[in-house]
This record gives sequence, structure tokens and C-alpha cells, in this order.
Amino acid sequence: MILYDFDLERPNTLEEASALLRDKGADARVLAGGTDLLPNMRVEVVRPATVVSLGAITPRDPVRETDGTVRIDALTRLATLEGSDLIRAACPMLAEAAHRVAGNQIRQMGTLGGNLCQETRCLYYNQKHDYQFKAPCYKRGGEVCYPYPNNDRDTCWSVYMSDTAPALIALGAEVEIVGPGGTRRQPVEQLFTGSGLTPHALGAGEILSAVLVPPAEPRFGWGYHKSSRRGGLEFGMAVMAVGLTLDGDGATCRGARMVIGAVREKPIRLTATEQAMTGAKLDEAKIAELAAAAAKEINPLPHHGFTKSYIRDNIKIHMRRVLSEATARARGTGTAENGGHHD
Amino acid sequence: MNQLNYVGKSLRRKDGPDKITGRAVYSQDVKLPGTLVGRLLRSPHAHARILRIDTSKAMALPGVKAVITIDDTKGIKHGFVETPRYPPDQEVLARGRVRHVGEEIAAVAAIDQITAQRAIDLIEVEYEILPAVFDPLEAMKPGAPEVQPTHPKVRAEVPYSNIGGRTATGWGDVEKGFAESDYVREDRFESHLRTHGYLEPQVTLAHWENDKLNVWTSSMGTFVKRAKLAKVLDLPYSAVRIHKTYVGGTFGGKIDLYSHEYCAARLSMLTGRPVRIVATREEIFSAYRHGQPLIMEIKTGVKKDGTIVAQQVRAINNAGAFRGSGVVVIFLAWGFTMIPYRIPNLAYEGLSVHTNNPVRAPQRGHGCPQIRFAIESQLDTIAEELGIDPVTIRLRNARKPREQLPNGDNVHEGGLIDCIKVAGEKADVVRRYGKGRKAGGTVRRGIGMGVSGYFGGSLIYPNGSGVIVKMADDGSATVLTGAIDVGQGSETVIAQIVAEELFLPIEDVKIVSSDTDTTPQDIGAWISGMTYVTGNAARQAAGNARDKMLQLAAQRFNCGVDDLYVADKVVYNRLDPAQSMSYRDIIALSIATRRGDTVIGEGFWRTMRDVPTHPSLATTKGRWSENYAFSCQTAEVEVDTETGEARVLKALTVHDCGFPVNPALVKNQVDGQVSMALGHAFLEEIMMKDGYTLNPTWLDYRMPTIHEMAESDDADVITEEYVVGKPYRTKEVGEGLVSGVLAAIANAIYDATGVRLHSTPFTPEKILKGLRQLERERRERA
Repeated sequence: MILYDFDLERPNTLEEASALLRDKGADARVLAGGTDLLPNMRVEVVRPATVVSLGAITPRDPVRETDGTVRIDALTRLATLEGSDLIRAACPMLAEAAHRVAGNQIRQMGTLGGNLCQETRCLYYNQKHDYQFKAPCYKRGGEVCYPYPNNDRDTCWSVYMSDTAPALIALGAEVEIVGPGGTRRQPVEQLFTGSGLTPHALGAGEILSAVLVPPAEPRFGWGYHKSSRRGGLEFGMAVMAVGLTLDGDGATCRGARMVIGAVREKPIRLTATEQAMTGAKLDEAKIAELAAAAAKEINPLPHHGFTKSYIRDNIKIHMRRVLSEATARARGTGTAENGGHHD
Repeated sequence: MNQLNYVGKSLRRKDGPDKITGRAVYSQDVKLPGTLVGRLLRSPHAHARILRIDTSKAMALPGVKAVITIDDTKGIKHGFVETPRYPPDQEVLARGRVRHVGEEIAAVAAIDQITAQRAIDLIEVEYEILPAVFDPLEAMKPGAPEVQPTHPKVRAEVPYSNIGGRTATGWGDVEKGFAESDYVREDRFESHLRTHGYLEPQVTLAHWENDKLNVWTSSMGTFVKRAKLAKVLDLPYSAVRIHKTYVGGTFGGKIDLYSHEYCAARLSMLTGRPVRIVATREEIFSAYRHGQPLIMEIKTGVKKDGTIVAQQVRAINNAGAFRGSGVVVIFLAWGFTMIPYRIPNLAYEGLSVHTNNPVRAPQRGHGCPQIRFAIESQLDTIAEELGIDPVTIRLRNARKPREQLPNGDNVHEGGLIDCIKVAGEKADVVRRYGKGRKAGGTVRRGIGMGVSGYFGGSLIYPNGSGVIVKMADDGSATVLTGAIDVGQGSETVIAQIVAEELFLPIEDVKIVSSDTDTTPQDIGAWISGMTYVTGNAARQAAGNARDKMLQLAAQRFNCGVDDLYVADKVVYNRLDPAQSMSYRDIIALSIATRRGDTVIGEGFWRTMRDVPTHPSLATTKGRWSENYAFSCQTAEVEVDTETGEARVLKALTVHDCGFPVNPALVKNQVDGQVSMALGHAFLEEIMMKDGYTLNPTWLDYRMPTIHEMAESDDADVITEEYVVGKPYRTKEVGEGLVSGVLAAIANAIYDATGVRLHSTPFTPEKILKGLRQLERERRERA
């Protein structure tokens, strides 16, 4: 139960919503599906004076634009994405990532925009502080960091755990943002600041309006894996997403995007490993080597009871399987190894 | 001939339609006009002196109707255990000191949730922080912060600090036994902190009206709640009525009296209005009672053929800040050690150690999963060292039917040997064991086995159950029973027994249950004896009503009662087919000729009627149970040796519950326990740091969902039977079965990987670490 009063606004357009947000300033929050905002309001990570609900705005169905770009309204429900024939055909990695979010009830409510705009997470601050951890942490405007007592940098080492963001970055997707100055587009990667305190680079009155996924290049392959303990109804321990293209020989990597989510304040692109991959022949040994390099390149925050070393161990194995799947898909030979995936 | 119509049949649950359609009324659904919202102020510190409490600002807040602290109580203590050795030890609100995070300090009643929360925020408490201790081994050291003084009787026996209770027992001569053994090994095991995960929160609605306290509270036994609540309120039992509600899961966590129950009652008495307190899920995770993590040191000596000669067991319990059931689990861990196998020489010590953690409660199995995990794991290691398979070593030591236990109890027709044989054959254990480790590849399979034994219906307040069967004029029956249906299906089982004894269609049997004013006293759903104790009382009550009716018919027909038979509520004379009489007519006849007797049957039952009380928790002396259930379970696991991720593919439970009154309900119990064991094995863990709970949410306390459930097969070993008109013996089947399968999973992981896990949960980290250790050892040998 949310134990404080707040105002609720229900504008009819995103532009009206943006104007309301700008007027109300920092005390206002956007409510889309509510699966992130409402629990955060309950535990008082955020305590908005005004909640701007987008509930009166109906999203359009995802469409393929003339240049092949797939346009998805930010208010599209995750359940819509996983069930959409267009999404499954044009960007199956996104359908898979959306399917991996939480459980069906959450996916029926949660939106793609909301999934991208979710708050970072931490065991300590994702709970009520009425008698546990009473002194506010940095994220709550205080002067302590409970998981990292030696953290004296006025910052928050919490983890950004969106399941869809790594997939969208690996797909080279962009977001469209509506704000006081009109509409702007930017790569999904640039939506994130890397700060646990304010994880999103959105200005006053700005709202995500759409996600744009570019058409896949020839010989494109993807791989995606969400490591978690239970296998469902939880956030990831590490989320791995890879999009790569092969040369005409079906073996040499022409380019790749390798992203790991749920281990830092934002999804991390492994640029060094991506470079090492580009131009390399992706055989079994090389893939294993690249996965090991990825596990070394990433510097995960221990979080939710998982140690840094185990997160790395897990990434090393699952990244190998993800790369192997991506390569097989790029070759058009289907999945080579999927031992780690069970539903 | 023993033709049964209802007992032994998988009849539909009586509570099924209400629950499926959402009509079932739980405590939170009971609505009374003018109800106030109650909330509790809890300690933010693990250990502190309370220097001052000022409630004046909270009292002055408009909408606040009452605020209470320890000064508003009668100062009467309560405890899970209340014996001369272990008297009640806990007040209903903190007095001068808090000993764990979340301990209750004050309570408010207000017109709504937000006002109640504001009032809580306005209560000023000044604390002096005291040093705290969380680890039991640290707490035992001399000079450790004193959570509670070591029990005066224990002080003379052991030199440790913070010992709330000690169980010391044994027989034979273990030193001599170890000397005579061919092989002796010592291991140390640890189990972790888990909680019950009942879906319905802790909730109490109390209404003081006309000098009577009416209470609706989520519990496992209304009569225990009544006794404890009346006591701390200093009211006669008759002034407290606990009403029946549906209960949404308990698993051991809703027996004790909780502070919020007292507070709701007291606040209602002060305001004259109904007061409801609902615990938030975070409160339940971080301030209420969980199960008990044990540290277990096991030393076992065996002969070359695997026969156990001697065993020395030490169990250390992290008991939290008050006694709770901490001194019970160390007694029970002895019991669960001694039930399944013959141990000619045993030395047992259990220590319950106070720490600045929340108080502990029983949790399904109450020590059995922990100790069986340890013993069965070690037994497999011993078997391998001796070159014996897991089935043979268990059969060699398993108790036989009619064996006398060292505590004076008898296992009667205990079917352990058959359980082991059937499980071994069905899961093909001997042929498959040891194959997984030798197989190549990174995904390996293994099989493991575990055994457990469990007591049923032991003597704890109120010790016995009564049942009344009232015949209605039309020949249908109303059963008054104090039994509480917490989801286990007691109302269905009792209805089946009454229908059987009265030869009535089950639709004609209606149950009125668990209301302390209108139903007879009952043992409650927490000592694994309801089907046996309350069931036999129901059998007797129904038989009593039946006999009254048959006697009247026999008189009328001028024949013997044995000459009668009943079909469809009509009594016939076998000797004269023309003579018959319906129940309806017999009841009218009874009213007419037997001074208005409307035909009421009564029945009472308790276990071990010659035994005055429960055995000693300190020495284990005294009889414990006349119902010992046995089981053998197997698990097949698959382990990804690259990531350490493991899962159970299939579990098999072979158990001796005597006979199943309702086989479908028994199967539900088996599946529920397998699921709980999966949570124990892989997923569930209360993470704590310095007395604070890190994961007080369903999201981060990962319980298995239906997707994580393994295939679960089961088989009954039938050792007892039901005969109309005769007492019967059923045995426990609702909590012990978390145990063998947990041990089986550990043994199966070993079988698949060669990694022997000495602590729960079996995380990928631990399995991977074990695999790397094995790899290092292999390289060193090479």
C-alpha cells in the first residue's frame, strides 16, 4: 500500500503529458504500465507529488516503415511484443527479450518504454525503510551506501536490470523522445547516463514516445540469454545480447554488438571484445576465446547476492552459447548450442 | 469384508468450490462497521536499550484512537513452549530493551492506513545501542554480547554464553562403539535460513463487544490461539472467541502468539471498536518468525558391511532473540536422528543459541529436513567408502516392523524396509547410481536417495480432540469439530470418516469447524496428528450416534444390532426383510421414547492415553508418539558442469502413512513437500546482514513457481487399515517428506558430479567451486 497522498493527472496526448511534467517539475512521475513505478512508490524510492498517467493514450500497433525500420510505440505492452508476428519476424531478439521479462501478468501491464525507463535496483533500497535501513542512502538523498559501506563517492552503485535494453542496443535501435523542444531521436545506448543516482538521460518534460529498430543486414544473427536463479519472475543476474553479421564466407565476422545488462548502472557494450571479434573467423575455439574475453572485459557489480566472480563465470559460459547461437543464426543453420536454455 | 464407501477415496475437497470461486472468507475478508486500522512500531536496531518512549504526539494526531506500549499491558509473558524448565519468556511488546530488528515496541489504532502510519512516525523512541551478535558460534563465546543469559540449568553443564536450552541424551557407549567400528567418519553440515512463504499474510481482526473478545486471525489452531491470547490479556478463556475463517497457508509459521494479535485485541478493548492489523509482506519477511538454521556435526562409526555401530550428533541452532521453538527443534533433531535407523550407541547434544535475530518458529519438518540432509549425505559417503550401494546400506540399518525404539515407543507396522525397497526398484537406483560421474559431456545426470521418519500427534496443549456429531431430524449430520482446515483438507477427511461410520451420503455431512465457542477443543493443525487424533474422535462421535440409532431399531425389530444393516439412511433387519426404518423415523422415535434425545454422538481422542505429557525437551525421557511414519525418496538431477546450474528432473516419494483416507489429498501433500524441498535445495534463502533482512519481498526471496516444479511420483506402502467401528492408526504425511528428498537431491548432485555439498542451498557457485576443487585434485594426482 502507498501510504501517502499524491495527485493523479490523466492527459490525452504525450504532448500534454510532457507539458504537465515540465510544469510539475521534479515532483512528477510518468505512469505507464506501473509495474516499476508503483512498487517504487510503495517503498518510497520515489515519492512523487503528481503522477502523470499515460493510461488514456492508446499505443498504435508496431509497424514496418518504408525503409524497413520497425516502429514500436513506447506504450506497447511487453505481452504485445512477444506475441506480435511482425516483431517475431523482423526482430525476434526483441520478442525473446520481452518474453523473458518477469511473468505474464507483469508483461500484460508493463510497456516497452517503461521497461527502458525503469529505475536501477538494489536489495537495500528496493524495500520499505520504516524500520530497516532508516538512514536514507545516496539514492534516497542521504549519505550512506548499504551494500558498499566503503562507497564514499556520493554515488549509487545500483544495477540497471532491463531485459529489453541490451537486446535493443545489440539491434542498433533508437528511441524517439517527445519533449518541450519537440521530438528527437537518439540511439538507445545514449538513453543511459551510467549513474545509479539518475540512470536516464531525459530532460525535464521528456517522455519516450517510440522505439525504432533498423532492418537487419544480410547474414545477421542474434543471441540472447538472461541468467537468473529461478528462471522466471525475477530480474536477471546478467543479461547477454549479441547481434552480429558475417561476411559472405559465412564464417568471418563483419561487425558485432555485444551487450551485457543487469550487472552495472547501465547496459554495457563490450567494445574491446566487439573489435576483437570483427574480422575474426567465428569457429568454436574463437567463440570460446571471445566469450572468455567478454567475461574479462565486463566488470560486474556484485548484486542481489551474486558474487562478482560467479557473475563472470556465468557470463563466460553463457556468452559462449549466445555467440554460438548468433553465429549459427547468421549462417542460417539455426541454433548450434542451446543447452543453457530451458523454459 | 471391509467394503468402504468414502474412506480411501479421492473425494473432492469440501473447501474446493469456495476457494476456486473466490467465495472463501479469509480473516482479511471479514468486514465489521467502524473498523480501525492498527499498525506496529518496530525496532530499527538489532540490540538497544529503550531509554524513553513518547507517544504524546501520536496520540494528539487527529484520527488516532489509541496508542499502546508495554505500560498498557499486564506484563504477562508467553512462549511457544511453556514448561517448568522453559517458562514463558516473551512480553507482547518490548520492555526497556529490543533484541532484534523489527521487535514490536508500540501499536496504534487510527481511522485509516495513512493516519496510522503518520502516528507511528510520530512516536519518539530514544535508544542506547548495544553490541549485537548474529552468528551462533560467536554468541556462544565467553564475553559475547548477552542476548539472553544462558539457561540456569545449562550453565552448570556447558561453559557457553547465550544458551537458551540444551538437549542431551543418548544410550550405549559411543566411545566403545567407535572403537569397535571398522570405519568412522566425521562431517559438519549447515542448513540456511528459510521461511514458510504462506500466501495469506498474518492478519488479525479483533472486536471487544459486551465483555467478549471476538477474534478472526490466520492461525493453525484456534484453541492454542485462544489460550495464549486470553492469558496475556488476563481474560478467562470463555471471554475470548476465535472465529473460523479460511486460512491461506501456514507451514508452521502461524502457531505462536504474535504481538499484532495481542495489539489488535488490546486496541479494540481500549477503543470499543473493531481493530484490524495486517502485516505487510516486508514485515513478515523481516520481523516475523522463520524456520531454523542448524549447524550439525555428525560422527558415525560403522562395520565393514555398513551396519551403524555408533553415532555422535551435535546440533546448534541459531535461535534468535527469544526462545520461540528454538528449544523444540534441538529436541526434534534428536528424534529425527533416531527414528529411521538402528543406532546401538548414540550421544546427542543440541544447543539452542540466542542471537540478535528474529525469533524462530517451526517450519514444515521442524528440524527433520536439516538433520536428514546431514545424516543421509554422510551415509552415502560412508557407503561409497565401503563399496556399498545406497539401497543396501539403508536396508541394513532400517528399522523393522514392530521394533521397539530406545525411547520406549514402538514403530508398530512401520514400513520403512518396504519403502526403501520400492523406491530403490522404481527409481532403479542400484543400476544407475555411479554412472553419472563417469559419463562424459557437460550435462550430467545423477540419482540420489534419502530416508526419513516422522512422529504424529504428540502430546502438546490441548493434547486431545473432541468431536460432536448432531443428527438432524431428516437423518443428515452436522459435525462440530475444532479442527482447522489450513489447506490440508481436514474438513474433507473428517466428513469422509463420518459418512463412512454413519453410512450416510457424504453430501449429508456438514462440518462446523474451528470456532472456539461452538466446537469442541482440538489439537490444531500443527502436530501432524489431525487425521489420527481428530479423525478418530470423529469416528467415535459418528459411531456413537450410529449406535444410538441402531439400538433403537434393534429394539423395535426385536433383533440384535448385529442383525442390522444400513442402506441409504434406512436400517434393515437381515433376519426379516420386511422390517426397515429410516434414520428420520428412528430419530423421531428417539425423541418420542428416549426423553427427547435428538441423537447426538460424541467422541474424544488423544495419543498415548496412559502417558501424562510430552517427553522432556532436555533429556528426551518419556514416550513421544504411537504413530511413526516412514519414507524413502529419490531424486534425479541434471547438472550443467560448466555453469554449476542444477535442477531436479524427477522426484519419487514412497511413504508409509498407514493408509490414505483420501489418496488425492495425500498426493497433494507429497507434491507440496517436494516443491518445498526444491525451494530449500536451490532457491529460497533469507539473506541477512547485521540483523537486517536484505530480501524481504517475494521477488528477491525466490520461491519455486509451478514452472520450477519437478515431476513428482509417489507410492504408498500400506501398513494399516480402516474398519468401520474400530480405532485406526494413520501416520504423518504432511511435513516429514520435505526431508528425504532434500537429502536425495544432495546425494544426486554428488552422483552426477562428485561434488559433496555440506551446506544448503545447493547454489551454482558451490557446485562450480566443488567441481574446480575436484579438477585441481585430479591435476595434482596426475
